[in-house]
Amino acid sequence: MKQSETNARYGAIAIALHWLTALLILANLALGLSMVPLPISPRKLHWYAWHKWVGITVFLLTCLRIAWRGMRPAPPPVAMAEWQRRAARGSHLALYALLLLIPISGWIYSSATGVQVVYLGIIPLPDLVEPDKTLAGVLKAVHVTLNFALATLVCVHTGAALKHHFVDRDTALTRMLPPTWPKGSAPS
Amino acid sequence: MSLPRSFVALLGALLVASGGAAAQGLVMDKSEIRFVSKQMGVNVEGRFRKWKASIVFLPQDLARSKAEVDIDLGSIDLASDESETEIKSPLWFDTRRFPVAHFSSTSIKSVGGDRYEIAGQLTLKGVTRDVVVPMAFKKDASGNNVGEGSFPLHRTDYKIGEGMWADTELVGNDVTVRLRMVLPPPA
Repeated sequence: MKQSETNARYGAIAIALHWLTALLILANLALGLSMVPLPISPRKLHWYAWHKWVGITVFLLTCLRIAWRGMRPAPPPVAMAEWQRRAARGSHLALYALLLLIPISGWIYSSATGVQVVYLGIIPLPDLVEPDKTLAGVLKAVHVTLNFALATLVCVHTGAALKHHFVDRDTALTRMLPPTWPKGSAPS
Repeated sequence: MSLPRSFVALLGALLVASGGAAAQGLVMDKSEIRFVSKQMGVNVEGRFRKWKASIVFLPQDLARSKAEVDIDLGSIDLASDESETEIKSPLWFDTRRFPVAHFSSTSIKSVGGDRYEIAGQLTLKGVTRDVVVPMAFKKDASGNNVGEGSFPLHRTDYKIGEGMWADTELVGNDVTVRLRMVLPPPA
């Protein structure tokens, strides 16, 4: 393994997009779980609107990340067993897929309940399906199931990062941290 | 547009000839009362499943023409059970105390062609206000006389959405009511 590879870091924009997405999905999972049981009230309407806006933002950020990653490929993976490398690649792909599919499933679900999504209260998104209570029920289940899958994968992703950092003592985590972090260092 | 106009004239003549002011039934499955309002920038649409109208429409004798409409507010369709339950509650329609909205015309005037202005009083949740409903008529393929129109109202004028819902930034004050009244051809 060459030195340049082991010390390779993600770029500042990739790092910013990663942590911004992490913050938004955690906030939106909490918001989503909290808003559903609320009695109908102005707070509930606000939280639903914000949940949708955050979700669409995650979708847009993910498109941006994928485009950026196409232009500035991720650094090669740190040294690890082949099965781990494959698992990492698979879970990263699944995370990207969920970050795109979950907002879309929410958007279609909102359309099916007859509520158009107006991004930030300004930009109306087209309704993808006609209002339909049966379809809405199915889409709600899909949206919730995909979110449980995302929450599970986020736990796996976080656990793997911590395992790399504290057990393998490699740079898998630190290379995704802001550059002010001791460069490429692993705890010793 | 000469055909519908001659039809309307014939309809009017028949009604006048037969003694006049017999109320016409509507073709209910083609008629509708819909509305749209805004909630945080999002259009929220709905309609009433149950309502009835008694219409006397005599283009040649507008003085004797009139329209009475009763709307069962509990029959509201908002495509969401939760919203429907909420809107029947005291802060909104309060359907237990005010189950029916009523419109009664006071004058109908022609504003040219097949267009008319129907002025009247709308009573909603115990509040009565003057409204003017512009309607345009045209004949459909089965010979029905189809009147379409819309008018704006402010929900707060009728105390629709009180207390915590009074904020019109969240639920807009402007509501557009859209009407489609389909009058059958003369028997």
